[in-house]
Amino acid sequence: MSAGFLDIDCVKYACTCGLLKTLQQLYFCRYCSELRCTFCVSHEVDSHFCGKCCENLPSAEARVKKNRCVNCFICPSCRQELSTRAASKQPANPEESKATKRTYYLSCLCCRWSSRDIGLPDQTAATGSWPKRESIHSNRIQEIVSMYKGLQEKEKLDKEFFKKKQKEKIISYTDKTGITAAALRKRIGLPEDKPILKPKNAVKIVTPSKADENIDDFDEEVLTKSINLLEITSIDQRLLQPDVQPKEISNIFPIQKILSIKRSLRCRRCEHNVSKPEYNPNSIKFKIQLFAYYHIPEVRIVTVEPLRAGQACELILKFTNPTQHQTTVSFLPFDSPIEVKEAIPEEGAISQEDSLEELDKSSLTPSKKKSSSGTKLMSLVDTHITLTTSRSSARALSPRSIAESINCTVDIPSSTFILPPRDDAAEYDDFNEVHNIQDDKKLVVWRKSNKAYIKLVVTPNEDMPIDTTVTTGFTMSHLYTNTIASVADNKKPQKFNHNMRVILKLGKSVGLN
Amino acid sequence: MELQDSYYDKSDYVETASGNKVCRRTVLCGSQNIILQGKVIVQAEAIIRGDLANVRTGRYCIISKEAVIRPPYKKFSKGVAFFPLNMGDHVYIGEKSVVSAAVIGNYVYIGKNCVIGRRCELKDCCVIEDNTILSPETVVPPFSRFGGSPGTQIGTLPEVQADIMVDYTRSYYQHFQPNKIIL
Repeated sequence: MSAGFLDIDCVKYACTCGLLKTLQQLYFCRYCSELRCTFCVSHEVDSHFCGKCCENLPSAEARVKKNRCVNCFICPSCRQELSTRAASKQPANPEESKATKRTYYLSCLCCRWSSRDIGLPDQTAATGSWPKRESIHSNRIQEIVSMYKGLQEKEKLDKEFFKKKQKEKIISYTDKTGITAAALRKRIGLPEDKPILKPKNAVKIVTPSKADENIDDFDEEVLTKSINLLEITSIDQRLLQPDVQPKEISNIFPIQKILSIKRSLRCRRCEHNVSKPEYNPNSIKFKIQLFAYYHIPEVRIVTVEPLRAGQACELILKFTNPTQHQTTVSFLPFDSPIEVKEAIPEEGAISQEDSLEELDKSSLTPSKKKSSSGTKLMSLVDTHITLTTSRSSARALSPRSIAESINCTVDIPSSTFILPPRDDAAEYDDFNEVHNIQDDKKLVVWRKSNKAYIKLVVTPNEDMPIDTTVTTGFTMSHLYTNTIASVADNKKPQKFNHNMRVILKLGKSVGLN
Repeated sequence: MELQDSYYDKSDYVETASGNKVCRRTVLCGSQNIILQGKVIVQAEAIIRGDLANVRTGRYCIISKEAVIRPPYKKFSKGVAFFPLNMGDHVYIGEKSVVSAAVIGNYVYIGKNCVIGRRCELKDCCVIEDNTILSPETVVPPFSRFGGSPGTQIGTLPEVQADIMVDYTRSYYQHFQPNKIIL
């Protein structure tokens, strides 16, 4: 369950790729005007940070530090975070100095493990001075890695060398006529062409490791000695330190905490960012936030009558408009084809033509700045081109079919309803606002600010057994106002119908009475 | 699913001018040290230990039934000291949870039957699942979901978690209505 408490899993939207996600998990690319889920976006690591001390590390530094925090440790025994405790140590000779020396040790507040358990001496500084334990194999591994890097380099050079040689093999006219490049060079008096250097074989080959002939005798004590489980590490504890894999509990060592990341997401098709977090690890704000939750009307189930097979029952849905623009919502049958990019309907087309005309006028009138209008036109053409190209590529993409069987039909209402824009100040209005919206009384039960309660009639399938999950769905079409072009080109925002499939889990069916 | 109305007995609750709804059957120790910023719901049998240190909540906080809010303490060589407990806006604390965190950020959801150990730091936008025991001094980073005993990170949250919490606590407050008197 995605949010646990809100139980929002019962309403799912079909992403452009065909996967079902809740609205909260979806993104909306304003440039493609399509829904995107986490599988339709590319993930990029923005920054590394430590989840405990919230220190931000640049990625280069994080790589050097092996993606681990310098100051924070986790408990090798129970994986919880270790905290630094201060201890005051009385000096051995009280006359030497009056001030007590402060020392620090690490301790786990969950399992009571402490760095003193393994005989690690207390440190004089609170952070940064804990000894690092080097693996005995680290040198060998470093050698091998550098050898393979050298080999890779060499192979690359060899390939280039081979290519150049191939080129030389081609006989040119100058060769046929006897006037070679070398001869020409000599005549003109230029120094001779440098021969292509053969790459040096400078790779230091590591001495391969050998299997040892002498194998230690089997330690029979393993079989005879009774083991103390308290002294032996668990599999979990061993695998927490894969390079050492300590057998005894006295050999476990504090582990540096692994860094977390902040990531930005990018639409795979148009390569625009759909999500970009702020750099500060503590910040929950975003620089770019194209989340579907801010663009697509939210559908929620309010009430549903008991679902009986073959009987029509009433379903109340709540629609919320999250945008600053008024929208019109209409219903289409679930399996009505969705064009990946809906053609601009009359209104939208008109508005666009209007803007074109305006542009023409502005470019014709000499009093206005000519250059700017020219660029405007150019950019308009650009947007047209990008629109068409994205359309063609969109068709090439074949979304998978939706993996959810619908066992309940919805009577698709023919009328549409309007959702007013979101108004943040509305909640502070005490008086009931008056809206002049002519509603189809059969469809709209009640409305308040940007929300509307819609009544639909659903009929579960005749042959449905009792206690099966009733799933229904429809295609929601809403008028989407895209403001991107208007910001860029100073023209009216584009309006078009955006369609998406919505799947509702209404609950279990009940028996006839 | 849209939240359903939950009703309370009007004689049982005190409503302040700033919109706080506090049940009479709660234990608010040291009430002069407790600051409820407004539109906060404190339900029956909740305990807020203001006598230990200051407790401050943000707006739209919900403290469910039998939850315990207890400022954290720290041991020093000369006894113990209590530290104030600050809570952000839009925080939900589930039933029977014991909270002695040092800081609770904004948009935090704590499930029911949780124990938040002393001096934990819950950053903005995090979720503690039901029945989680957080060991003391744990830091819960933003957009993470903690669960289990001892609590560890078990998942992440969607980027719109803040809006989800705002919506949730607001609608909870709106749906928390006094009983209609039946004559």
